[in-house]
Amino acid sequence: MASPRIGQRPYALTTPALIVIAVLFLVPSVYNVVLAFQKLTPYEPVGDAVWVGLKNFASIFTDPEIGSAAFNTAFWLTAVTVAIRLGLGLGLALLLQSPVLQRWRLRGVARTLVLVPWMVPPVVAVACWKWIFDADTGVLNQFLVDTGLLSEGVPFLAQTSTVWWSVITIIVWRELPFVVVVLMAGLQSIPKEQYEAAAMDSAGRWQSFVHVTLPNLRPVIIVVVLMTVIQTFNNFVYVWLSTGGGPGTYTQVLATQLYSAAFVANSLGEGAAIGIVMTALMAVFALVYLRVTNEREGGRA
Amino acid sequence: MTFAKPVIATALLSCLVVTLTACSGSEPESKDGTVTLVFRQFDPESEVRGLATVVDAWNRDNPRVQVEMQTLSPNNVQQFAREANAGTGPDINQIGYSDVEFLATPRILLPLDEHLSKDPLPEGTKEGLLATDMVTFEGKTWAMPWTADTMALVYNPKALSAAGVKDPPATWEQLAADARQISSSSAGKTSGFCFPASGSATSAGWFAINYYLWAHGGTLVRKDSAGNWQTGATPQQLAAAIQFFTDLFASGAVPKANQAVQDYSDPTISNGLATGSCAMTYQPPATFAALREKAEQAGTALTTAPMPSGLTDGATHLGGRALGINRNTEHPAEAWSFVKYLMSATTFKTYDQYPASAETLEDLPVPEAQQGYVEQLPHSRSFARYIGSEMTIASMQQLVNQRCSAVYSGQQTSAQAAADILKGLAEGLKG
Repeated sequence: MASPRIGQRPYALTTPALIVIAVLFLVPSVYNVVLAFQKLTPYEPVGDAVWVGLKNFASIFTDPEIGSAAFNTAFWLTAVTVAIRLGLGLGLALLLQSPVLQRWRLRGVARTLVLVPWMVPPVVAVACWKWIFDADTGVLNQFLVDTGLLSEGVPFLAQTSTVWWSVITIIVWRELPFVVVVLMAGLQSIPKEQYEAAAMDSAGRWQSFVHVTLPNLRPVIIVVVLMTVIQTFNNFVYVWLSTGGGPGTYTQVLATQLYSAAFVANSLGEGAAIGIVMTALMAVFALVYLRVTNEREGGRA
Repeated sequence: MTFAKPVIATALLSCLVVTLTACSGSEPESKDGTVTLVFRQFDPESEVRGLATVVDAWNRDNPRVQVEMQTLSPNNVQQFAREANAGTGPDINQIGYSDVEFLATPRILLPLDEHLSKDPLPEGTKEGLLATDMVTFEGKTWAMPWTADTMALVYNPKALSAAGVKDPPATWEQLAADARQISSSSAGKTSGFCFPASGSATSAGWFAINYYLWAHGGTLVRKDSAGNWQTGATPQQLAAAIQFFTDLFASGAVPKANQAVQDYSDPTISNGLATGSCAMTYQPPATFAALREKAEQAGTALTTAPMPSGLTDGATHLGGRALGINRNTEHPAEAWSFVKYLMSATTFKTYDQYPASAETLEDLPVPEAQQGYVEQLPHSRSFARYIGSEMTIASMQQLVNQRCSAVYSGQQTSAQAAADILKGLAEGLKG
């Protein structure tokens, strides 16, 4: 039987971490839930909050824009960008791992270049892309007009036919390196013997990719998808800075709705309520996603 | 490791003390009796060199009351509110007129009436103060009107004369005709008119819509004689305003690229004016001053005129900045002295803004190119006409910008957008 001092030691060691978690995570989260049932402006002290029950949630669900904002968030902002990042990320990771780059001694340079967008702060990235997309002075339009592909510049961020693809371009450019780096780490952990065994079984490159690479990368891909989906679903910066939710409300997403409610309309409670709805949606997604992937994993086992 | 506990405890305590000290507000009086005040302003560094000179002069002349100027740009009044509600924050804060009410309602600012009666403003400063309706709530003065501005028409006289347009337009209809003529006669090389027309919450396209509406007898919201808020424009009036600007895009008088532009100082607009690819726009004085320098370097002369219908009372807005004193200040008398100093004519000799005192403004030498502002300012009216309802001006601005942008981009007709705006306003006014 452990002495009383040793018996208390685990509690003593974990208490500081628990305090930090409680102060930095639990308290704000609980306060956010409380705030969702209150009326308070960003200018008032917390003590001036008035209890309004479910009114904030009611106003969210009666807002005519909420449906399209939810669709934009789930489809354009999240599903499309995550799918593109995964596809491109896998391709780039395979390229960066290829023996060709190694042979030409370009692997280090290529890996560094891939990381560059990730080093650019998102605000700067959006500012640069807005300039690139400008209809009159943007380099993209100037190139397209100079080469005769367009007769006049296109306001990519101001017309409905191009605005989402422009926003997606910005997000993919800035966020792709994370996917590449994680997948590259996954590729490096695949034992070479498996490829050698596949080669001995006369497997070609495609067969090696399908039967060796992908199954080994599966756990990494599951984590990457989960992380990028949650991170992108909650993202506010790219849409707000590039289009402000426009033209009209065409690119409005839940995070920009949240910001508008809390800091434009000065209704912190409504903003908090939107935040709770977003958290709930992501929690459901994470549970379902992990359950499905675990079941498949179990099935495979 | 018997010494570990006291060492860790001391380290934690030190961290706590350092953190709390760093978070504290204005510095207390020093041992020699010198008071240090913090004055926070939000204009970009490039526009406040003259103001820094004014603060330096105060510090030279008042060794016992030193002022530290902080710049927190862009304007973030919610940050000031958070600090003040936590018992800290700068002693004196520059505030946009439309934000004063937000700070007055929760009593974040110090009421200034007592100071005004005990230590009044000097002759020549207090006369004809503009925008007092933006700083007075519930019978108390919560901030002092400091600077005044409005949007004037900024134009390139050469571009106008090249298209056969002799004078800047005096009405919106004339502006449309002139802008079309300039665009067509230059074969699209020079756009007749440029303005920020994006659908974002803070897009300055909001000013154009309001100016047009006010010039044609409408207003977004109004308070009736019983004190109830209601919408102030008919669907037809609002639809006509939106259609007016939509037609400018359709006719090529305004470049479509402007539909992605949010701010009047955006390079798309300022470069266009400076290089001659745009003939007319609207801007406030500080932005125009910077643009004019840039244009001169590019060989383009720019000047100003009142906006269309700008000499009609209430057809343009009166903006600017107020000065408020934080209720947490430990030195209200010294802070008031500094506010009075900033409001004096001395400040505006080097600070590139117009004073909110009409008398000081009259005595101020204004460059010829900025006469448009001076002519228009006495006719401009503040956004007090929209303040006091359940709906914030920022929410009205977002709603109007979004719906107008939806029309410019072909998602809605002007009639549908007008109906949506009026519905949104009516719901917003209910709270």
